[in-house]
Amino acid sequence: MRPLIEISDLTKSYGSLHAVRGVSFAVAEGEIFGMLGPNGAGKTTTVEIIEGLRDRDGGRVSVFGLDPAKAGSEVKGRTGVQLQQVALYPRLRVREVICLFASFYDRQANPDELISLLGLEERRNARVGELSGGQAQRLSVALAVVNVPELLFLDEPSTGMDPQARRNLWDVIRGFKADGMTIVLTTHYMEEAERLCDRVAVMDYGKIIALDTPRNLVHEHFEQDAIEFSSTMDWSISELRGLDFVSSATAQGSEYSLFSTNVPGTMGHLLKFSDAKGLSIDGMRVRHATLEDVFLKLTGRTLRD
Amino acid sequence: MNSVVQLFLTNFREFVRDRQALFWTIAFPIVFVGIFGIVLGGGDEGASYDIGLVIEDDSQEATVFAAILEEFDAFEISRGLAVDELEQLQEGKRSAVVQVPRGFGSALRTGTPQSLQIHYDASQLTTQQVIIPVLLRALDVADRAITQTRPVITAEFRTLQAEKLGYVDFVMPGLIAMSVMNTGVFGAIQMVSLRERRVLRRLSATPLSVWKLVGADLAFKVVVLLVSTAILIVTAVLVAKVKINVENLPSLAAVVVLGGAAFLAIGFFLGAFAKTEQGFFAIAQIVTFPMLFLSGVFFPLDGMPDWIRPLITALPLTYLTDAVRQLMVGGAPINAMSINVVVLVVFLVGFLGLAGRFFKYE
Ligand SMILES: Nc1ncnc2c1ncn2[C@@H]1O[C@H](COP(=O)(O)OP(=O)(O)OP(=O)(O)O)[C@@H](O)[C@H]1O
Ligand SMILES: [Mg+2]
Repeated sequence: MRPLIEISDLTKSYGSLHAVRGVSFAVAEGEIFGMLGPNGAGKTTTVEIIEGLRDRDGGRVSVFGLDPAKAGSEVKGRTGVQLQQVALYPRLRVREVICLFASFYDRQANPDELISLLGLEERRNARVGELSGGQAQRLSVALAVVNVPELLFLDEPSTGMDPQARRNLWDVIRGFKADGMTIVLTTHYMEEAERLCDRVAVMDYGKIIALDTPRNLVHEHFEQDAIEFSSTMDWSISELRGLDFVSSATAQGSEYSLFSTNVPGTMGHLLKFSDAKGLSIDGMRVRHATLEDVFLKLTGRTLRD
Repeated sequence: MNSVVQLFLTNFREFVRDRQALFWTIAFPIVFVGIFGIVLGGGDEGASYDIGLVIEDDSQEATVFAAILEEFDAFEISRGLAVDELEQLQEGKRSAVVQVPRGFGSALRTGTPQSLQIHYDASQLTTQQVIIPVLLRALDVADRAITQTRPVITAEFRTLQAEKLGYVDFVMPGLIAMSVMNTGVFGAIQMVSLRERRVLRRLSATPLSVWKLVGADLAFKVVVLLVSTAILIVTAVLVAKVKINVENLPSLAAVVVLGGAAFLAIGFFLGAFAKTEQGFFAIAQIVTFPMLFLSGVFFPLDGMPDWIRPLITALPLTYLTDAVRQLMVGGAPINAMSINVVVLVVFLVGFLGLAGRFFKYE
């Protein structure tokens, strides 16, 4: 079966700034495809070119077998879009704006069901301009699915949401997938990508630097668990790397991480080492490697820097 | 179709929930027209002028002359001594003073040509343009009556209007045309603001067509225009006592809709080149302001120099003002009604096409 989205060698510059520098990937029907990357990586630019909202400089894009730059309205009728920047008629009420957007499509979801799905019942008669950031974000997700799209784009959907709202949103998105939607989602939150996405593309400086299932990405780069500790003192990274069983060591300010093939063995050595050097350790924990670590390893930077 | 209805409703809701928009489109023009009405409504009505008459000759001819002058409706004659009347003229209480010198009657009887003195304030334009010609005609009539020469050619003047018209009747239709222009051109600011706030960008992610978006906006603005114009006309009739042709109201409504749509199309076109609301405001001001003076809103166009005429004929407001004035109060037409209508249709279609061509979602 043909993938729903196929892009190859996509490029886009804004003046001298190369925002997207040769991106290729395919999204299969029914999957949740994640794009993870720091600010300015080119996620929004890539996604909006696929949506037909921006022109591209080069490369091929095919959505439902059509080029969105040419067959715009056919593609738009079958897709749902949540833009990173929410912008709506400020004096309209929540239910009114949902009915307005529904009227643009042949296929229409029930507005009241959408309102309760996204937990906006209490705000159904509130003016859009008076919604809180998280509520506006939920309305924006509701508007993206007013046409029960086959393909749904969510650009940082959980921005501004509290942890509970974020978890609820994840359930809602899993529900969309269960209903057969194909979803492309961008995020800064590795937890969101890990929990929600079937596959994740890690993007940095306009390029995809890794693309796989979250589990494979982590296992490909880390066979070990991490020991993390904080310390206000100066540790030498190269000396830390020299400790037994340590495969890699990184420092982010006062946070240190050691990846080890033998966690108890490394811990013993670490404590002896700190005693000998007179260095203090403020807190220590052990955790599994995450996409965040993958990103740090690949780029030398964290996702939100 | 449903989407057009929904967009229309959206425009309506955004409008009535926006106090500022309500003020500028409904309240402000009423206040404006109301003030004009109050200022002009009194003295100017029926256009009659105070003329001082100084008779220094006690002959029968002088009496006849005075009686003839008094018969002119346009004049409010007050008699007095030369010193008093000239002082009144100085103070602006007379538009002109006519002085009949001693020996006027006897001179006429012997057939000697006689001259009268007419004092006026040369800085007063109305006096020069209106009163002097009428006075000369009055003198002519008096001359013939007194010297008993039979006039060979007579002219009977009949105005197009049943009643006499004053400046207020001239300017009110102009103000209404101006308000239609402003509601139209500045009405496009909503579209600019939607673009600036990136709402249009969100709409562009849906299959909605530009024409439905623009069409719904146009339809809503036409309704606003009809309501605000109706309120203006009522204000003009009540406050300024403007006499209107009631049987022309349906055609007037049609012309207002046509003109408003044409100006809105011009606004949409201008809006395509503005990034921000303020930017649009500046462009729209530059385009509308000169038209106020070159399209016969406040002054008749007869006095305009020849070199500016091509510009006048190129301005859409010229045609709308003329059409509204003809329909409201009659009045001397600049163009035949059909020309006004055709020109406005051309502006509407042309600028709507251009607006669609240059329309930008962001
Ligand atoms: N319209 C534009 N004009 C000029 N530069 C732009 C424009 N849009 C994006 N850029 C630049 O292109 C780069 C990529 O931007 P993009 O919005 O695609 O990043 P992103 O990965 O979505 O970032 P974020 O996580 O902050 O949303 C950035 O450096 C940005 O400044
Ligand atoms: Mg982005």
